[in-house]
Amino acid sequence: MAELGRAALVVSLGLCVYALVAGAVAAHLGRRRLALSAQNALLAAFGSTLVASAVLLSALLRNDFSFTYVASTTSEALPTAYTISAFWGGQEGSLLLWLLVLTGFAAAAVRLNRGWARDLIVWVVPVFGAVATFFAFLLVAVANPFATQAAPVDGLGMTPSLQNPYMLAHPPLLYLGYVGLTVPFAFAMGALISGRTDERWLVATRRWTLVAWTALGIGQLLGAHWAYEEVGWGGYYAWDPVENAALMPWLAATAFLHSVMIQEKRGMLRIWNVLLVLLAFSLSLFGTFLTRSGVVNSIHSFTQSSIGPWFLAFIGVVVTVSLSLVFWRLPKLRSPTRLESPISREAAFLYNNLLLLALCLTIFWGVVYPLLSEAIRGEAVVLGREYYDFFLRAFGLPLLLLMGIGPLIAWRRASLRSLLTTFRWPTGVALVTGVFLLALGAGSSVPGLIAYTFAAFVIATIILEFTRGTRARKALGATSWPGAFSSLISRNRRRYGGYVVHAAIVLLAIGVAGSSAFDTVAEAKLERGQSMEVGDYRLEYRTLDERIAANATEIRAELAVSRGDRDLGTLEAGKNAYTIEDQVSNEVGIRSDPLTGEDLFVIAEQIDADGTVYFRVFVKPLVNLIWIAGLVFLLGALITLWPDAREQRRLVERTREIGVPATR
Amino acid sequence: MARTASPARLVIALSVAAVLAVFLLYTSIAGGGNPSLAPSELAGRSGDVQLAGLVVGPVAGHAHAGGLTFLLRDIGEKSGKAVSVRYAGSVPDLFKVGRHIVVDGRLRNGTFVAEPGSMITKCPSKYAPKQSGDPA
Repeated sequence: MAELGRAALVVSLGLCVYALVAGAVAAHLGRRRLALSAQNALLAAFGSTLVASAVLLSALLRNDFSFTYVASTTSEALPTAYTISAFWGGQEGSLLLWLLVLTGFAAAAVRLNRGWARDLIVWVVPVFGAVATFFAFLLVAVANPFATQAAPVDGLGMTPSLQNPYMLAHPPLLYLGYVGLTVPFAFAMGALISGRTDERWLVATRRWTLVAWTALGIGQLLGAHWAYEEVGWGGYYAWDPVENAALMPWLAATAFLHSVMIQEKRGMLRIWNVLLVLLAFSLSLFGTFLTRSGVVNSIHSFTQSSIGPWFLAFIGVVVTVSLSLVFWRLPKLRSPTRLESPISREAAFLYNNLLLLALCLTIFWGVVYPLLSEAIRGEAVVLGREYYDFFLRAFGLPLLLLMGIGPLIAWRRASLRSLLTTFRWPTGVALVTGVFLLALGAGSSVPGLIAYTFAAFVIATIILEFTRGTRARKALGATSWPGAFSSLISRNRRRYGGYVVHAAIVLLAIGVAGSSAFDTVAEAKLERGQSMEVGDYRLEYRTLDERIAANATEIRAELAVSRGDRDLGTLEAGKNAYTIEDQVSNEVGIRSDPLTGEDLFVIAEQIDADGTVYFRVFVKPLVNLIWIAGLVFLLGALITLWPDAREQRRLVERTREIGVPATR
Repeated sequence: MARTASPARLVIALSVAAVLAVFLLYTSIAGGGNPSLAPSELAGRSGDVQLAGLVVGPVAGHAHAGGLTFLLRDIGEKSGKAVSVRYAGSVPDLFKVGRHIVVDGRLRNGTFVAEPGSMITKCPSKYAPKQSGDPA
């Protein structure tokens, strides 16, 4: 069986090389049949990678420990769901998943767009071929998932903390995001090489970018939620290099999703958009390099291996070649229009882009700073949490404000007077909210207060937009208010889906500000019967129980929670001692208030033999809004992604007007 | 082609200037980060550093009463000089002899006194097997 898998991978490599070489020759010489065969090679590469993946999956499910990969990632006792997740658990399997998704995306993106953008597609195929060749080569020559050995009796199993439902979804979503960013990259490069630098490559890849971006966003939130509930230190994001590795391409893709609108509508920012796509794609490769090479200290210690230098070399080639292409095509990338006023929709989007990019690059600087300082000063200097928090505030708060201004400001040129009229209500709402919160004592954290005031402003603009639009639909003859509302959304999914995503980001900002700027923490060593107070909660430590479960001894302290004279029931916090793995894990107690979104978060830090427990308790206001934001984000993304034949026709027609050269 | 001054350039120039100003502000207020050192590099250092190392026994004391003490050695070294560390505050789940940890703090009279609550352990988020060279 292993031979079949390996052979399928070699075939995949051959097909990817063929798509690269034959595709380039065909595009250069204008050979239509050869170009078609290169496209088919991509599809066939997907097929053979699928065969290789099926071989690995069946080996995992059969517990065939003669596969080194299977033996080192699973064991007999591992539940089936986690056995499947071992597919992307190890390095070799995750590279295979990468190639599978990449060839699948490439074949689909080419097929869906070749009808109306043939002259562009002929050059997109060899770019996909080149990227896929890199991964296929790694799988064949460097990280072979089909290495065999004399089968041991049992496999080495999986770390207990990863045997968790979140780990079924979090890694593949991140991979979907990373790989998905290849599609806009390939089309951008195809547009540059073919010289078709009009807006078609944007229209062709908009949904692909959105899917990748959504998957990256949701994947990161799932990871944060896992950290919050399972790791149990009271936080959800630690600015760890590996976490940042996923955040950076997301920020670059966010900037891209905004600036493409400017290019579509006004033909501006062409160079900028190509550079953003290049940045997002390189950062997704850089993330993999970071996690696999072990060059920086991270709390995530993945298997460190020899693929690090390969990735670094590939990033170098990608950046050099792409920048040369951009430079070569500079004359074609000049915009036909230009910015008319610093107060306009275009300018607002430009500020948004610069801020997102600044945030992305400061995070990048923080990640590589230890490496640079080691190279220059001979000593690795680590930038801590304060560094990242500072820049999140410095760039994130203006971004939050712009989110309210950008969508409402007029195109081309807006007068200050029209601004005053447009933003009269939202500004009023924001000021009232600010004063009200100040009176409630929110002044204890200035950044938090600013975040809430800005959040109120953005929410007010979003509500204003929805009511104004719905009223207009009603006036135009919609029979009912709900009917007017739904026709409003379905007539411009992109715009109103975008507003829903904005609302999600506001919820996220409120949740992050609430749980980090206005949280309370208390620690106490309690004997049974003693109590402690945190915020306006009162916790009484009642009993300590020990239970024997299948694979662990569970120790739980029971606490009675009350607020004022209201009894809020009990909460359990404790530890699990895993016998086989010889590992102890904190099992935190969380009480969420469904009305206020506040969490009471209890960690039993240390449990002594005499039954005294050292508790660490957090009150985290509004933290649940972060998870709700994830659902709203998904909803907004789905609205935007929903197939819309009318919009697609409109976009295609508009690009027709720009003028499509006669196809060969 | 002669290009007249465009607001786009002004906007970009101003934004870049603003970003640089924020950077300067940050470095002047917060200063740089802390150097990250291995236990063998610690001798003679007096400032705040981040220390990354391998926990070697014995672990004694109480994290919430008087502090925990243990020895820390360079990661990847089988023998060699270990530094004694005193630590108070939250102890991560994965802390034990043989693990890699990172703590912030400074050297005082030959003992590394860690800032309370600064310890992080490397989370073993690898599905891959323990290498035979790894400590337990």
